[in-house]
Amino acid sequence: MTTATKDTPMVELKGVKKRFGDLEVLKGIDLKVERGKIISIIGPSGSGKSTLLRSINYLEVIDEGSILLDGVQVNRPDLKGLAFERHINHIRQNMGMVFQHFNLFPHLSTLDNVTLAPRKLKGMSAGSARELGMELLERVGLADKASVYPSSLSGGQKQRVAIARALAMRPKVMLFDEATSALDPELVEEVNLVMKRLAEEHMTMLIVTHEMAFARDVSDWAMFMDDGVVVEQSTPDRLFTNPDQERTRNFLRKHLESQAVAHAHF
Amino acid sequence: MDINLMMEITPLLMKAAWITIDISARALFFGFFIASALVALRTSRHVPIRWLARAYISVVRGTPYFVQLLLVFYGGPALGLRLDPFTCGVVVGAFNIGAYMSEAIRGAIESVDSGQNEASRSLGFGRLATLQHIILPQSAGLMIRSIGVLAIILVKNSSLVSIISVVELTYQAQRLIGSTYKPLEVFTLSALMYIVIIYAVMGIVEFLYRRATRYTYL
Amino acid sequence: MEFDFSPVITYFPTLIKGIGATLLIGVVVALLSILGGQIVAVISLYTRKAVNWPLRFLIWLFMTTPLLLQLYFLYFGLGQWVLIPAIAVGVLGLGFHYMAYNADIFIATIKSVSNGQYEASRSLGFGHLATIFYIILPQAFYRAIPQLGNNMIIMVKDISVLSAIGIAELVYLSQYAISVTFRPFEFYITIAAIYYLINILMETGQSWVERRAAARK
Repeated sequence: MTTATKDTPMVELKGVKKRFGDLEVLKGIDLKVERGKIISIIGPSGSGKSTLLRSINYLEVIDEGSILLDGVQVNRPDLKGLAFERHINHIRQNMGMVFQHFNLFPHLSTLDNVTLAPRKLKGMSAGSARELGMELLERVGLADKASVYPSSLSGGQKQRVAIARALAMRPKVMLFDEATSALDPELVEEVNLVMKRLAEEHMTMLIVTHEMAFARDVSDWAMFMDDGVVVEQSTPDRLFTNPDQERTRNFLRKHLESQAVAHAHF
Repeated sequence: MDINLMMEITPLLMKAAWITIDISARALFFGFFIASALVALRTSRHVPIRWLARAYISVVRGTPYFVQLLLVFYGGPALGLRLDPFTCGVVVGAFNIGAYMSEAIRGAIESVDSGQNEASRSLGFGRLATLQHIILPQSAGLMIRSIGVLAIILVKNSSLVSIISVVELTYQAQRLIGSTYKPLEVFTLSALMYIVIIYAVMGIVEFLYRRATRYTYL
Repeated sequence: MEFDFSPVITYFPTLIKGIGATLLIGVVVALLSILGGQIVAVISLYTRKAVNWPLRFLIWLFMTTPLLLQLYFLYFGLGQWVLIPAIAVGVLGLGFHYMAYNADIFIATIKSVSNGQYEASRSLGFGHLATIFYIILPQAFYRAIPQLGNNMIIMVKDISVLSAIGIAELVYLSQYAISVTFRPFEFYITIAAIYYLINILMETGQSWVERRAAARK
C-alpha cells in the first residue's frame, strides 16, 4: 500500500466489463469512491448493480478493466493459481461484504462468527479477539446474544451480526449488497440504524439498495444503474428529486408506485 | 490377471451365486410375512402384544445378524431346534429382515396424510377397507423402495452364512482364494456377481416402484 | 432342555476381555472411518477427475459388495504380498468399509451447504482450503451426525464378523470358551445381550449428541 496517499480514491473502477455467457452485465463501468464517502447504487433488478459490488470483492471475476482498492490493483491477470489466491485473500481482508441473505456461519456462536476471521487470519489471541468481538456486538446492540447460535436470531439480528463480522477485520471499505431486501419490513430499521451509525463514523461505504429514502438520507453520492451501465450519477438530492435522464425518472416513478401499492396492503 | 483361471472358476462361482440369490429371495419372501404380522401386532388392542412386538423388533435390530445366526445354528439344538445350514440361513435371514421391514412398512403407511384416513372413514369405509383401498396404494411406492434397500442388505448379509458352511458366493470365493492363491481374480469375479445381483434387485425395485406410483403421472 | 449358565460365569473374565477388544476396535474404526470419510469426501468433490474417479469407484465398490468378502480378500490377498497381522486387516477392512459409507454421507452434506457460506468466508479473506476446513466441513459434519450415528451403530454390530478372520473380539473369544464347555446357546445368548446393551447405550448417546448439535444447523 506504499503508493496510496490521502488523495488516492479508496475504490476505483476503470472500464470494468463482465459477461455471463453471451449476456454482458457490466458494460464498462468507471467509478471513484473517495475515502470516507458513502455511495448508493440503485437500479432495477438485473441492472448489474449487485454484480458490480460482487466484482469489487472479486466474488465475480471480471472480463475487462481494472479495480483498485486504496491504490492496489484487485484484479491481477498476471497472477496465477496460488499466487493470485494469496493476493486476493489479502485484498479481501481489507473489504467488508454484507450479503442479502446474511450468510452467517450456523455452526458457530454469534461471537465466534465475529472473531473467526481475526483469530485465524490475523493470528489474534483468543482473549483480544473476544474483546474485539464483544465490542463490535455491543456496537450493533447484540452483546447479550454473544453465546447463542444464528438459528435463534431474527433476520434483523442476523444482519447486524453479519455487519459486526465484516467490521472485525477493520476493513477500509464496506460493501452492502441489498442488506435489507430479505428482511421483514419491521426489521429493516434496526439494520439501517447500524449502517447510519457507521456512516457517521466516516466509514467508506458502497450500498446497493432498494431503500430510496434511506439511500437519500445517508449517502454523499448516488448512482442509477440500468442494463449494465451507469445511467446517471449525482448528489442524492438531485438524483432522487430532479434527475436528468428519462430512464431514471421512469425507474423512480415505478418504484414509488410499487411502494405505494405495497404499503396500501398494510 | 489370469484370464484362463477366471474362465475356469466362473461356473463354480455362478453356481454359488445362485445359492446366494436363492437364500436371499426365500428370506425376503418369508420376511415380508413376518414383517406384515409385526405391523399388525403393533397396532393390536392388547398392550402386552404391542409391547412384545416392539421388544422383538428392538432386540433383533439391536443385536448383530451374525450372532443371531450363530445362536440359532449352534445354540438351536439345545432347544430341540435342528436346522440344516441352508434352512437356518433362510429362517434367521427372514426373522432378521422381518424386524427391519416392519419398520419400513410402518413408516410408509404413516407417511400417508392422516386426512386420507379421515376422508375414507367418513365415506363409511372400515379400518381394513381403508387400509386396502386408500392407504396401501398410496404408500406402496415408498414401501417398495424401502424394501428394496433391505433386499440389498439381505443379499450382502447372506455372505455371513458361509460361516455355517452354506456354499454360497462368499464361501466359494474364500475356498477358491485358498486353493488357487489368486485373490485378485477370485475377488474380481465374485464382486462382479454381487454387483450384478444388487443391480438386478435395484432394477426390479425401480420397475415395481414405477408401476406402483403410476397414478402420480397419469 | 436345561440351561446352565455357570460356564458363562466361569469364563466371564474372557468375555470381559472380548468386550474390551470389541469396544477398542469400535473406537479405532469409528475415528478412522469418520476422519477418513471426510478426507475422501473432500478429495472426491474438490479434485480433478483423474484423482476423484478412482476414489469414487472404490467408495462404490466397498458399498456394493459384502464386508466379509472384502475381509477375505484383504486377509488372504494382502497376506500373500505383505505380512500384516490379522488385527490390522480387521481394523483396516472394517475401517475402509465404513469410510466408504461415511464418505458417501459427507459428499451429500458438503454439497448441501449453500454457496453463500463459501462466498461469505471468501469475502472475509479466507482461502479456498481454509474455507473448506473452517466453514464447509464443520457444517457438513453437523448435518451428517444422525446418519453417521446410524452407521457407527451398524458398524459396532459388524465387529462380530471379524471373528471369521480370527480376531480375538467378543465372538471369537466366546467360541473358544464354547469349544471347551459345549454350551453354545448360553454363550451366544449372553453375547447377544451384551451387544443389545451396547446398542441401547449407543442409541442413547446418539440422541444426546443430536440434541446438542441441533442448534448449530
